Amino acid sequence: MILTEERIQLLAKASQHPNFVELIGELTEDNLSTWLEAELGSAEALETFLPHGNILSKAIPPKHVLHIVSGNTPHAAFQSILRGLILGCSNTIKLPKNGLPELISWLDTLPSELAQQTKLTSDINSIDWLTADVVIAIGSDTTIESIQKHIQPHQTYIPHGHKISIGIIKAITQETAELAARDVSLFDQRGCLSLQTIYVDESHGATAQQFAQQLAPAMAHFAQHTPPTPLTLSEAGAIHHFRETTRFLAANSTKTEIFESSKSLDWTIVYQEDPQLHLSCLGRTVFIKPLPSSFDLQTLGPHAKHLSSIALHPFDSETAKKFTHLEAHRICPLGQSQQPSLFWHHDGFAPLAAMVRWQDIG
Amino acid sequence: MNQAYHPEDDVLSFIKQEGTASEDFQPLALKVFRYQFTNNKAYQNYCQSIGYTPDTITQWQDIPAIPTNAYKFPEVPVVSFPIKQTQHTFLTSGTTSDQKGIHHFPSLTHYEVSILNMWDTLKVPQTDYAVFLTPSPHDAPHSSLSHMMGTLATNIADQSIWFHTPPQNQDVHTLQNLTAKNTPLILLGTAISFLQLFDLINTPIQLPKGSFALETGGYKGSQRQLTKEELHALFEQKLGLSSNNIINEYSMTELSSQFYTKGINQPHQAPHWTRIQVIDPNTGKIAPDNTPGYLVIYDLANLHSVMAVQTQDIAIAHNEKSFTLLGRDPSALPRGCSRSADLATSYA
Repeated sequence: MILTEERIQLLAKASQHPNFVELIGELTEDNLSTWLEAELGSAEALETFLPHGNILSKAIPPKHVLHIVSGNTPHAAFQSILRGLILGCSNTIKLPKNGLPELISWLDTLPSELAQQTKLTSDINSIDWLTADVVIAIGSDTTIESIQKHIQPHQTYIPHGHKISIGIIKAITQETAELAARDVSLFDQRGCLSLQTIYVDESHGATAQQFAQQLAPAMAHFAQHTPPTPLTLSEAGAIHHFRETTRFLAANSTKTEIFESSKSLDWTIVYQEDPQLHLSCLGRTVFIKPLPSSFDLQTLGPHAKHLSSIALHPFDSETAKKFTHLEAHRICPLGQSQQPSLFWHHDGFAPLAAMVRWQDIG
Repeated sequence: MNQAYHPEDDVLSFIKQEGTASEDFQPLALKVFRYQFTNNKAYQNYCQSIGYTPDTITQWQDIPAIPTNAYKFPEVPVVSFPIKQTQHTFLTSGTTSDQKGIHHFPSLTHYEVSILNMWDTLKVPQTDYAVFLTPSPHDAPHSSLSHMMGTLATNIADQSIWFHTPPQNQDVHTLQNLTAKNTPLILLGTAISFLQLFDLINTPIQLPKGSFALETGGYKGSQRQLTKEELHALFEQKLGLSSNNIINEYSMTELSSQFYTKGINQPHQAPHWTRIQVIDPNTGKIAPDNTPGYLVIYDLANLHSVMAVQTQDIAIAHNEKSFTLLGRDPSALPRGCSRSADLATSYA
């Protein structure tokens, strides 16, 4: 196994690949080194015993990591494999049925020292199941549950199941609509970090309904410079059915209003007075709702337990702390929901620390 | 037109009338649309919001169809009669957290006449015994499927037998005993209930010659997913039934009529009091010939709610009374780590 320092150098270079840059962002050696330090206490923790209280400890990476990745978006797959590679593990990557061309293209360009640490597969064989020290799964709750059944007591299981993200707008500024449109539209809302509902604090003037109206041109503008990828028949059907159902509701209530791209299914905005969190049909479809006075798990309803990120605007740490009771794993600035920091705790896991075991002396 | 017009009798006569000329559908459909527009406030509001009124519609194909999910809002009931006159309510299936579709009826006359008249078109001979793998209407009073089975029970066989839900070993013994009588049977149930029955049959049963099975519904809520060929192979293996004697029924709680096909790769046929269209969801317009799209059904028997219903099922239209059902695109649902908000439409 090559040393951590060399892996850092190779990964920093590999992160310059356009697919990696687009999805994760380019990483420097400093970034990667600091990341290891934040997760493991030191970038050298994988090579040497370091003081840990009154003992010495060394991080032992898993020899073999099995990554079971989903096809909805390649983000999580890139992140997962980056984590395996920086720890120096051997990585088996179970691809989704329709493949992940962005990932394969990146893996194809890896230097041999890293490439030999990765193996792609479309089926998981019994040896992979048996030899994996860590199994990382990304997918629907059904997938996560079915993989759970294969996990042995000696294996570490890191599940990334169903999650949704929301926005909270405390005050509307000039750039609010553009930032919100970005967080809703980027990567066609396929990931867990895409906003599905945005709550607007109406105590400062503008109403949620007004914001929904303001968001429409911003969504149209985003679709103009970043057109959505073509929809499958089922995806188009889901949006069409959702729109007509919403139109039916809107025709019968002043508590619902729909704004949509004309002559296309490019984007859809639904104003709804009901504060409960509903799932979007995706395809750049977002609910805009007034921020309720009692903004808690009970008011938001059963989907709130799946909260991943809250994108806040305007963002400051003190305001962010006011929403920690919602138990989302992350509160970030609006406009950045889909580009988490390298240092983020993915679904609450410290991604590197969760994979390693420790050896102690003393 | 007189605002007090009530099309109940006209629709009933139309359903009962065999060999109705194709061109007779349109005038009655337009009358029913006007009736529903006038008497169903929620539907009227929807039609107006998209710019349609009875005065702007001149052909049945343009009658606005409501999505099946429109039946899911108790505060906006889809009824063309005073809701206080509700005598029967059918609910769609779903988990406790899902809002169920609600279909109210002031009377089930049209519903039942529709069931029996369409059944007659299948030309299935009357049998001594009909075996039901669904809950009885008594046990599931809000299930439209159970009600359909109950309506058939009193008309298609001399004696009805209701199996447990799911079937149990004693039901297999009952089936063996019935088979020993060597008189044709008909078995009716959901595809899942048949799979559950097959799981219990260790020694294949050879149903008497002339026996039939009717299966309906998909595999929602089960971990199993079989192709039609695989399902029919199990019918052959476990019950000795060939494809020609297996009927598939397609309908849903939001409708009042059934669509049938027999065998494999045969299109579903629509009753003469219904029409179908397949639309491209990207445009909302009719899908090009031989192209899959979403099935829209115009069902005159749905007199008490809304005649035109947009389903969430994918089909290819062959003509206005025939379609090949493709189901849903399994590759698109569920989509990654985001749970689908697309609420399934299925029989209760």
